[in-house]
Amino acid sequence: MGYYDGVFDALGLRDWCDADKVQGPMSMAELMARVRGGAVENNWWDIPFPSLDNLHASCQAIGRTREMTSAVEQGFLDIKDSLKFVLDPLTQPLSWLLDGSIFVFGQTPWWIIIPLMLLASFYVSRSVGITVFVALSFGFLGFIDHYGFAIQTLSIIFVCTVLCVLIGVPIGIAMSKSDTFQRMTIPVLDMLQTLPSFVYLIPLIFLFSVTESKLYGIAIILYAIVPVIRLTDLGIRLVDKDVIEAANAFGMTPGQKLFKVEIPLALPTIMAGVNQTIMMALAMVVIASLVSAPGLGELVLRGIRNLELGVGLVSGFCIVLLAVILDRVSKASLARIDGAQRH
Amino acid sequence: MATKTKIEIRQLYKIFGPNPKQALQLVLDGVSKPELLEKHDHVLGLQDINVSMGEGKISVIMGLSGSGKSTLIRHLNLLIEPTAGEVLVDGIDVTTYSIDDLRRLRQSRMSMVFQKFALLPHRSVLQNAGLALAVRGETRAMVEGEARKWLERVGLAGYEEHYPHQLSGGMQQRVGIARALASNAETMLMDEAFSALDPLIRTDMQNLLLELQADLHKTIVFITHDLDEAMKLADHLVILKDGYVVQQGDPQQILLYPNDPYIEDFVSDINRARVLRVRSVMTPTNGAGLSDTFGEVGVDDTLEDVIARSGGETSHNYAVVQDGAAVGKLDMKDLVRALVPRAASAPGARAADLN
Ligand SMILES: Nc1ncnc2c1ncn2[C@@H]1O[C@H](COP(=O)(O)OP(=O)(O)OP(=O)(O)O)[C@@H](O)[C@H]1O
Ligand SMILES: [Mg+2]
Repeated sequence: MGYYDGVFDALGLRDWCDADKVQGPMSMAELMARVRGGAVENNWWDIPFPSLDNLHASCQAIGRTREMTSAVEQGFLDIKDSLKFVLDPLTQPLSWLLDGSIFVFGQTPWWIIIPLMLLASFYVSRSVGITVFVALSFGFLGFIDHYGFAIQTLSIIFVCTVLCVLIGVPIGIAMSKSDTFQRMTIPVLDMLQTLPSFVYLIPLIFLFSVTESKLYGIAIILYAIVPVIRLTDLGIRLVDKDVIEAANAFGMTPGQKLFKVEIPLALPTIMAGVNQTIMMALAMVVIASLVSAPGLGELVLRGIRNLELGVGLVSGFCIVLLAVILDRVSKASLARIDGAQRH
Repeated sequence: MATKTKIEIRQLYKIFGPNPKQALQLVLDGVSKPELLEKHDHVLGLQDINVSMGEGKISVIMGLSGSGKSTLIRHLNLLIEPTAGEVLVDGIDVTTYSIDDLRRLRQSRMSMVFQKFALLPHRSVLQNAGLALAVRGETRAMVEGEARKWLERVGLAGYEEHYPHQLSGGMQQRVGIARALASNAETMLMDEAFSALDPLIRTDMQNLLLELQADLHKTIVFITHDLDEAMKLADHLVILKDGYVVQQGDPQQILLYPNDPYIEDFVSDINRARVLRVRSVMTPTNGAGLSDTFGEVGVDDTLEDVIARSGGETSHNYAVVQDGAAVGKLDMKDLVRALVPRAASAPGARAADLN
């Protein structure tokens, strides 16, 4: 009774098609067709695309699209346990780190944290202007009672960025050393960068429970690690060939070359990658509030869910403030490194 | 005075491309460089190079851009691997070295100075000068002591804490030379070390090098595309063209008796009076007495010096003295003749009766 009946008949597949004919649940299209009167017109203008659903109408042995998606789901569920068995202990430290850092940052009184933060911003940026801006911003955040949320967001970003650097820089170095490894890695990085951020969350939700912090930790790291990997690779590949040749001519070992020449000279580029990684971690930590990441994102979500316009807008503004702080501080340190070795 | 051979290159071939061994066979069968590039897509970098470099001498390799000079010098410390042939340093073929031996060679026996200086931009002048020693793992006191000493020697005392980008090109190259000297290697490779400098600074650096060499007696391999520089520095001159040696030997002899139109072209523009020395145009007396000479000139005086002394008079003869003893006679007519480039059509003719 489908459009493609004739095709299967002609191919002599009718028996195979009807072998285990079961009356599965009907698809919407079938239901509509039945309601409209059923008869399939052989009108060339309305030739349906040979899709799974349309082929199923002619041949029961071919599954419908809905069966395909549930098969994917089933497949995922089947490997889930073994995947979880491996990934769970492997990623458990991430939960501890995130919970630990949120706890430590949250429990330490503000009159310790804020001065420390100011010291740190001055140390990396060496700029009074930026330090004053950070001080004013935190004063404002505290004044409107958003300090606690901001600290949670910052501590998540802190942990994730450190991990991104620890994992990403070695990967970037390996890519710069091996063209084969680079060719294999680039498609993965492209995929990580183009996947919509929500899509990261889907398999993770199945794999881990939503109450575990590593769920959003992994999502943030996967999303934010790409620039630091790419720019480490680029930075090392761009190191002046003459200088590398000099390093070789004076008999440096590969290790000496890497740590004394390549990494120091690639540092400005690597730092540009770290800056982008920080910004992407901030973007993701807001989205990750969907899977119970604490912090300012939680407030934004509340604004959306409860239509509390003010809460959403103010916390959105706080996120912008954090973004500006993180960007300015990391850019200033980048400029400082860059200036130190201009030639 | 026979000098010991420090570096000997034997039948060296280098072919760039995906399958050099196969291309080598073609070259040995007589395929030319342009044909190899066009039909077989391989670049013939060097072909059949045979050069001996004396210990304590400056060997200059000269050629136009693309003639393979850089490729050749990089074979000496194996920054480039040969397709075929041997590179003997102190009698041992470096192509047979293990990685560790090679590293030791580069760290302590053969240092290098680069055209674009190639200093580490993030390290101070002092740290740059001490690089070779630091790489070898010497103590900090030793590294800094040596670096300081050599920086002072090249005239950079007081700049230890500067960074390379704060120095002029000439000063940066002085750091490059201090870096090479501080490694205390017997051999120094210099790839167009002075080409990036302006003419005055370049002359300074050439003088510095000669001055250092008078004390240190390193084996220096110097690359240049500038004939004046080559004539000034070379004890032994090798002229490369399209990857093969056109002529090599005493620079004065090459200037007087070029054996190839390519070299004639090269030498036609040079100020011969300033470069040629009395010893190259005199008639040796082999101990016989001299009569009616007008005065004495030294063997290593340039012809320019002699012309200045003679006041332009061409009818005189001079006695040529070396270390106080007369070794030859200089006829001003020979001197004037030597100032005019000869055609290469009759190579060897004069060379034979001079040698
Ligand atoms: N890695 C390489 N791959 C292919 N061809 C090369 C490579 N290195 C050098 N060549 C070729 O070998 C030839 C010699 O190059 P080389 O750099 O030794 O010349 P050079 O005499 O040092 O010139 P310059 O004065 O410009 O430095 C050139 O034709 C060059 O194109
Ligand atoms: Mg060159």
